Amino acid sequence: MSTLTYATQALAQAPFADNPSTDFTDTPWWLHLVKALFVFVFLLVNTLIVIWFERRVIGRMQQRPGPNRTGPFGLLQTLADGVKLALKEDLTPKNADKVVFALAPAIAGAMAFVSFAIIPLGPTVSMFGHRTPLQLTDIPVAVLLVLAVAGVGVYGIVLAGWSSGSTYPLLGGLRSTAQVISYEIAMGLSLVAVFLYSGSMSTSQIVGAQKDLWYILPLVPSFLVYVVTMVGETNRLPFDLAEGEGELTGGFHTEYSSLKFAMFFLGEYVNMFTVSALATTMFLGGWMAPPGIAAINDGMFNHGWWGLLWFVIKLWLFMFFFVWLRGSLPRVRYDQFMRFGWKFLIPVTLAWVVVAAFMKASQLGYIAGPSLTFNGREFPVVSIAFVVVLAGAVLVIAWLRDNKKIEQDAIRNTPPPEEIDPFAGGYPVPPLPGQRLKEPSLAISAGDTATDKEATRG
Amino acid sequence: MSNPYVPLLFLLAIGGGFAVFSVGAAAVSGPKRYNRAKLDAYECGIEPTPQAAGGGRVPIKYYLTAMLFIIFDIESVFLYPFAVAFNQLGLFALVEMVLFILTVFVAYAYVWRRGGLEWD
Amino acid sequence: MTGLGEQIMFWILAPISVLGALGLIFAKKAVHAALGMALVMINLGIFYIAQEADFLGIIQIFVYTGAVMMLFLFVLMLVGVDSSDSLVETLKGQKWAGALLILGLAALLFTAIGRAQFGPMKGLSSVNESTGNVSGVADLIFGKYVWTFEITSALLITAALGAMVLAHRERIGAKPSQRAWSERRILENRNVAGLPAPGVYARSNAVDTPALLPDGTPSELSVSRVLTAREQNVAPARHIESEHDIEHEIEEGSQR
Repeated sequence: MSTLTYATQALAQAPFADNPSTDFTDTPWWLHLVKALFVFVFLLVNTLIVIWFERRVIGRMQQRPGPNRTGPFGLLQTLADGVKLALKEDLTPKNADKVVFALAPAIAGAMAFVSFAIIPLGPTVSMFGHRTPLQLTDIPVAVLLVLAVAGVGVYGIVLAGWSSGSTYPLLGGLRSTAQVISYEIAMGLSLVAVFLYSGSMSTSQIVGAQKDLWYILPLVPSFLVYVVTMVGETNRLPFDLAEGEGELTGGFHTEYSSLKFAMFFLGEYVNMFTVSALATTMFLGGWMAPPGIAAINDGMFNHGWWGLLWFVIKLWLFMFFFVWLRGSLPRVRYDQFMRFGWKFLIPVTLAWVVVAAFMKASQLGYIAGPSLTFNGREFPVVSIAFVVVLAGAVLVIAWLRDNKKIEQDAIRNTPPPEEIDPFAGGYPVPPLPGQRLKEPSLAISAGDTATDKEATRG
Repeated sequence: MSNPYVPLLFLLAIGGGFAVFSVGAAAVSGPKRYNRAKLDAYECGIEPTPQAAGGGRVPIKYYLTAMLFIIFDIESVFLYPFAVAFNQLGLFALVEMVLFILTVFVAYAYVWRRGGLEWD
Repeated sequence: MTGLGEQIMFWILAPISVLGALGLIFAKKAVHAALGMALVMINLGIFYIAQEADFLGIIQIFVYTGAVMMLFLFVLMLVGVDSSDSLVETLKGQKWAGALLILGLAALLFTAIGRAQFGPMKGLSSVNESTGNVSGVADLIFGKYVWTFEITSALLITAALGAMVLAHRERIGAKPSQRAWSERRILENRNVAGLPAPGVYARSNAVDTPALLPDGTPSELSVSRVLTAREQNVAPARHIESEHDIEHEIEEGSQR
């Protein structure tokens, strides 16, 4: 069988979309290397900018200017901090396991970069005379690669905690591990719905499948769960329990200094970019132009290097969201965090996956049922009924909650009684403003306890 | 150059090289001034405890969490190929999958009911 | 169809895997053994990917990093942070029994593998191109092996049961909330402001050292009952001495 007939056969069996749609045949090996270098520099520069950005934005939110001295607008502040870190003394505590202590930051730093290889930054472009996709590589299991690499990256944290030979890092490392693995399940499950709709785990196919409709619309629950878990995965506020300063000082990196500490810092920010890029790819159409702009001039803005612009804008929306969260929310308590993950996110996501599978099944015609056609799209009655029922349930719950709130407000707003007996409950209570003190009933309550005692004795 | 994992290896080499270089450079770039107190474990300025309480053993609680993680991890591992190939699998696979999820949910309900998800 | 790249990769990674496996057996510290195991598992995943089984390879890394992490926690839980494995045999003669079992297993494996008949190598490339790797796996799971797949859920239930039986401590009665505690303190009118904190000194504090009352006597209330029962409480004098020591050392360090 020649390759040509093979290819036509593969085309005939269209539903198989496992394999990536990107075409790397015109990419020589040195171009791969150039692109890898480009991704690396892209991440480093973005990290430098985002740390400055975070401090400036947080400063604005807290009504202070933030760093504005080093370079124009303080842009070089992060670079200066990095140089300062490099010139600090590198300490290895005497209780530390020397080899693992050095290994941990290397793992954390190295693993952070790998996942970005499968993120499509744009469509096919011309580069040094070759047509190549603006994506380092793509594999049939690309999204799982991100999860697997994140799993290896956790070792950096837990090993740092263990090898420091100190109490706070150990506790911080353990907490961080439990946190990351708990939220990784919900994250993995939330992505299942995307795979159901796109029929592939390759990122280029997923972006291609969102040509008509970004998945954020049909798969809102998945998107919401993903956004929560991505904050939990990256140990960011309000979920930065692993390094809660008030409880654990620095968490797993308490004992680290100099460039080793810088590696953890860098790893954390690069991980933020990775999860944001994955969110962009999975739910916001990747490098595709926003719906209105995409229609201009026959899709001109969806070609060539324009894709990179849309991608970077979407990526930075998520980064702003991270900073915004940090500026507005306090840290949650550890038991609340675990309860939320295990008792809410996981069952809800599982149920949503089942619902999504049924919706897809009715779309594919596995479940017989009439469907309505509206605006050139087919909507199975089953899924419409589901949406209606869901919306109804949300309305009813909101109404009940509102009623409850009105009742509670009524109780809270009843004016306090005019007179108060300061010893009524058995221990002294001061009067509220505007209340008059009644004669204390000390004698009566003492008598009461006396009779109580007699009653028990009798 | 048909193997899609080669570029991945490039990026790993660049990132890993950078990380290893930084960790190595940390040893030579900074000053070195010996002080025994600096090499002690950091416990907010107090004298460090010679050995952590209970010989440094951690609560068994974390083990339970890790075990539950593996259970759900394996469940989601089965969900991925199901989701990807759903187009051609048909209703039978959907029914099987729902059965599977329900069965695993029994384990989840049991753990919840016994208080295994409580964290205190 | 073994390509040159695959051969190079094999001859680099295979020795590393063997080293990892040996480390798993011979490492003194249990955590190092767990690390060796993680290395072997990741290498196995890479080998699968090299055999064009992308899904299996990634899943190997995805699941086993978690599994080894569990082993890691188990080790920390059982032997503590820095204590290494005790080399004293607790079961008598287990080394001999182990050696015997290993020999038996080796004999079984050698005869079984030695007699196996290998057909020509097929590879996965044709499946990967026509059906797709993940879809191929799905076809097998929901086709030929659907019964096995369903049985797996029973295995998972067993795992959950086992973890609960081994690791869960049943709580008898509800846990008192912070509010309940404070209400009880006030109603009983004892230690309304809470118990005194254990010893806090200028430069050090410790849970095992009682706090000093205004008149200079140590307060037994400030240390844990458990420590008192074990007679592990310490007199405050030690801290005053160590303070001087540290001060001295810092002065020395700055002169060096």
